[in-house]
Amino acid sequence: MIRAILRKELTENVREGRFRVVILTLLLVTVVSVLVSKRYYESVNEQHERARANARQEWVGQGQKNPHSAAHYGTYAFKPKYPLSLIDNGVDKYAGVSIFLEAHKRSDAQYMAAQDQTALSRFGDLTPDFILMFLIPLVIILLGFNAFTRERESGTLRLLKSQGVPVGRLLLGKWVALYLPIAIVTLVLFALAAILLSGIRDYGVFGVGAWLLLLMVFLVYYAVFTNLTLLVSAVSPRSSLSFVALLGLWVLSCLAMPKASSAMADSLFPYPTQLEFEEQIARDKRSGLNGHDPWNAAAKKLEEETLARHNVQTVAELPFNWDGYFMQQGEEHEAEIYFKHYQSLKETYQNQTRVYKTLAVLSPFLPTRFLSMAICRTDYHAHWDFADAAEKYRLMLVGKMNGDMVENSKTGEWDYLADEKLWAAVPDFDYQPLSQRTVLALQQGNLLTLLGWWLVSAMAVYVAVKKMSIF
Amino acid sequence: MIKSLIYEWKTIARERWLSVLFLLFFGCTLFAVRNGREHVGDRAAAIDKARHEQEVAEEATRFEIDSIARGLKRYEQSWLDPRMLSVYGQRMGRVVAMDPQPLAFVSTGQSDLFTHYTKPKLYGEAYALGFSELSNPVKLLFGSFDLAFVCIYLLPLLVVAFSYNVLSAERESGSLRLTLAQPISVFGWLLRKFMVRFVALAAVVVGSMMLAFLMMGLGLPHGTVRMVAVILSYAFFWFALSFWVNVTGKSSGSNAVKLMSAWIVVVLLLPAIIGQLATQLYPVPSRINMIHQYRVAEAEADKRASEILKTYYRDHPELARQDSSQPNRYQFWIEYFASIDLIKEAVMPVVDRYNRQLASQQAWVDQWRFASPAILLQDALTDLSGTSARHYSDFRQQVIAYADAWRSYFMPRMFRNEWMTTEALDQLPRHTYQSQHVRSSFLIDLLVMVLAAIGVLAAGWVTFRRLSTEQLLAG
Repeated sequence: MIRAILRKELTENVREGRFRVVILTLLLVTVVSVLVSKRYYESVNEQHERARANARQEWVGQGQKNPHSAAHYGTYAFKPKYPLSLIDNGVDKYAGVSIFLEAHKRSDAQYMAAQDQTALSRFGDLTPDFILMFLIPLVIILLGFNAFTRERESGTLRLLKSQGVPVGRLLLGKWVALYLPIAIVTLVLFALAAILLSGIRDYGVFGVGAWLLLLMVFLVYYAVFTNLTLLVSAVSPRSSLSFVALLGLWVLSCLAMPKASSAMADSLFPYPTQLEFEEQIARDKRSGLNGHDPWNAAAKKLEEETLARHNVQTVAELPFNWDGYFMQQGEEHEAEIYFKHYQSLKETYQNQTRVYKTLAVLSPFLPTRFLSMAICRTDYHAHWDFADAAEKYRLMLVGKMNGDMVENSKTGEWDYLADEKLWAAVPDFDYQPLSQRTVLALQQGNLLTLLGWWLVSAMAVYVAVKKMSIF
Repeated sequence: MIKSLIYEWKTIARERWLSVLFLLFFGCTLFAVRNGREHVGDRAAAIDKARHEQEVAEEATRFEIDSIARGLKRYEQSWLDPRMLSVYGQRMGRVVAMDPQPLAFVSTGQSDLFTHYTKPKLYGEAYALGFSELSNPVKLLFGSFDLAFVCIYLLPLLVVAFSYNVLSAERESGSLRLTLAQPISVFGWLLRKFMVRFVALAAVVVGSMMLAFLMMGLGLPHGTVRMVAVILSYAFFWFALSFWVNVTGKSSGSNAVKLMSAWIVVVLLLPAIIGQLATQLYPVPSRINMIHQYRVAEAEADKRASEILKTYYRDHPELARQDSSQPNRYQFWIEYFASIDLIKEAVMPVVDRYNRQLASQQAWVDQWRFASPAILLQDALTDLSGTSARHYSDFRQQVIAYADAWRSYFMPRMFRNEWMTTEALDQLPRHTYQSQHVRSSFLIDLLVMVLAAIGVLAAGWVTFRRLSTEQLLAG
């Protein structure tokens, strides 16, 4: 029985011009987008590798210098591209790629790709994630909006009912007929991406687990849309009404809800402006953390204590370079200030994330979007993780420079020079992306929301088809 | 004639779900205007605050300089002394701001990507500034729920829902046969039906906007008429398209699918494809590489500082001091200034290539924007809002020019080894934001949109002429 329904549906589909045109166009667009994305991925990766090599070369080859000057000269941390970003580029376009690491100052990531594009890019790019997130749900609607209304309009629904076709089987047949072609296109896209990725030299850590998980997320997302499409088709009296309603649903969940949720998140937990943020930090640097304990007072105390501890009268008598030690203490003091301000920024971001997670209940698009970005390590959290790792590296680098001064030179010996040996002793910045387990733990809520959508929509469509009127 | 119009109006008014749609549209408009107002309010408040803080700081510094001049106060460390030109020029930069235009709340445009105010300092190069603003990239990815979004994406759907079955519903209910039996021009009759709908929708759209403006306390900002004109011309385009689809004489379902497919192509696919092609055809050189060039040039300049300075004095004899008995207290800065040109020379080719590619991208997009009315509307609305890419690139130029002026003020005085005085404070360069010279594309956008709509309407007429009465009745 099921086979008969399925065969009828599929044959009907294949015979219809609409189906062929839509699926072929979708396949074509998919292949083009993956190829374009691969080119982009390769060029960015190549730039990244070159930049990394350049930065290291600059650092190691900076010549003889005072270690603290070297810390001022600094170096760069570059955000590596995670292989799966080929499928979902996430927020990468809107987050900078390089962080300058120098003494006394934590910098933000600079140069977001979106600034180097025209205003048109705000409409969205023709990338695999655009197809996966926006176009395929539309295709599901385009192919399935009249699954039941067509039968109703031509009167065959009455025939089917009178013959006593079990409702569950009818639904399953139609469901599979609508879902199968979509699943095939999705598999083609993912297989193509996997082949291309394994063909790229040095494509880095790319777990099959992440790839599979991403595939599963999208398959569930499409199951939700298939359920919703059949649901609306079952309850609509006319095909045209079903179509308009489904399109409205799509606009609401894929376009309006994401925008509305970011408007709400931003309104509830606003970010400071760049200049405000910088000036808050500058103020704390001047007048001490939280307005007390300004550094010059703390410094005086530090000096007295150090002198007392070593039982000497002047800093020159200390067995190590006081200047280096003093600067390192200052660095750590400033690092605390940066930590405080970035922590409060992080809280704002986490509060915003909570708003998004809550509103995800209202749209299947939102949990899918966040899951997909997280699995591809292109979400905002991954960016924070990178920025934190860069800051940790910066403190290590500056600490090593000041430490060398403390140990190997005397107080006031500003003409002390270190050379390549010291620079090369600093390990290269090597960022390890978040582990699969961490990502899953963070995304639990979104995963549950998406599964919830799937479950509820499946039950709803079953009930609707069961109670469906034949007119 | 009037009777038939009134009849038409009554039929529309009786459709319950239309009033629901209109209410929904008003809700979206209100929410969008609220968001826009908040965004612009934050922007204006941040600028005002920065300006105010600058005034306070300048007053305090003026007082301090005065105290030092009167011998009431002294600084042991010269790097804290506000009379040092280097201290003043580096610490007390002035706010260069891009004030929001009256209609800025209509379209967020590029305003969430770039900062609206900055303080150029003595050190660092304005041409290498990132101009980025702190924000959640997720918000940038999702885009803003602004009036531009409501008009570009949602308004066409409203038009389609309002008109996709004007002719087919008549046929499907059987009244078309009766109408055709009357001695009237069917084309004129259909056109009138569309006109009534267009006027009704225009009233809803304009009414919603005006009400939302008033409720949000915005009044009628300068440029509202132009904004309404371009939005209505966009709605007109969609009506024309719907008219064309209607006169092909197919069923309501087929019309709906055709119009929605057109929406997908015009609003989603064309902009994405054209944008993608722009970045593919004119890829910008790596920004990371620009940093590299900058650092290499800087390191080179550092090594050869004294040599560079000598050459610099040879090229700029006017800067050399007559009295050189005292060492110049700005030696570090003087060497830095001397090296600037050298660094610039090394970096400029990369920056130029970068700007050229970006300009080519923009030119490509400008030229292809005529392919989709959605792009035209986006362009026109950001143009009216002062949030277009052109406005931001112009603002960048203004910042670079101001940074130059700021440095040019201090540089010769530092070469002359002078101090900052209270009189000098009044001569510091000021910046006032101006946007009049940003090339406006509004009129062309509007004109092309109207022409496109008329073209589509004409195509509808041609299609209608070819259609026989039998075809019209058969569907």
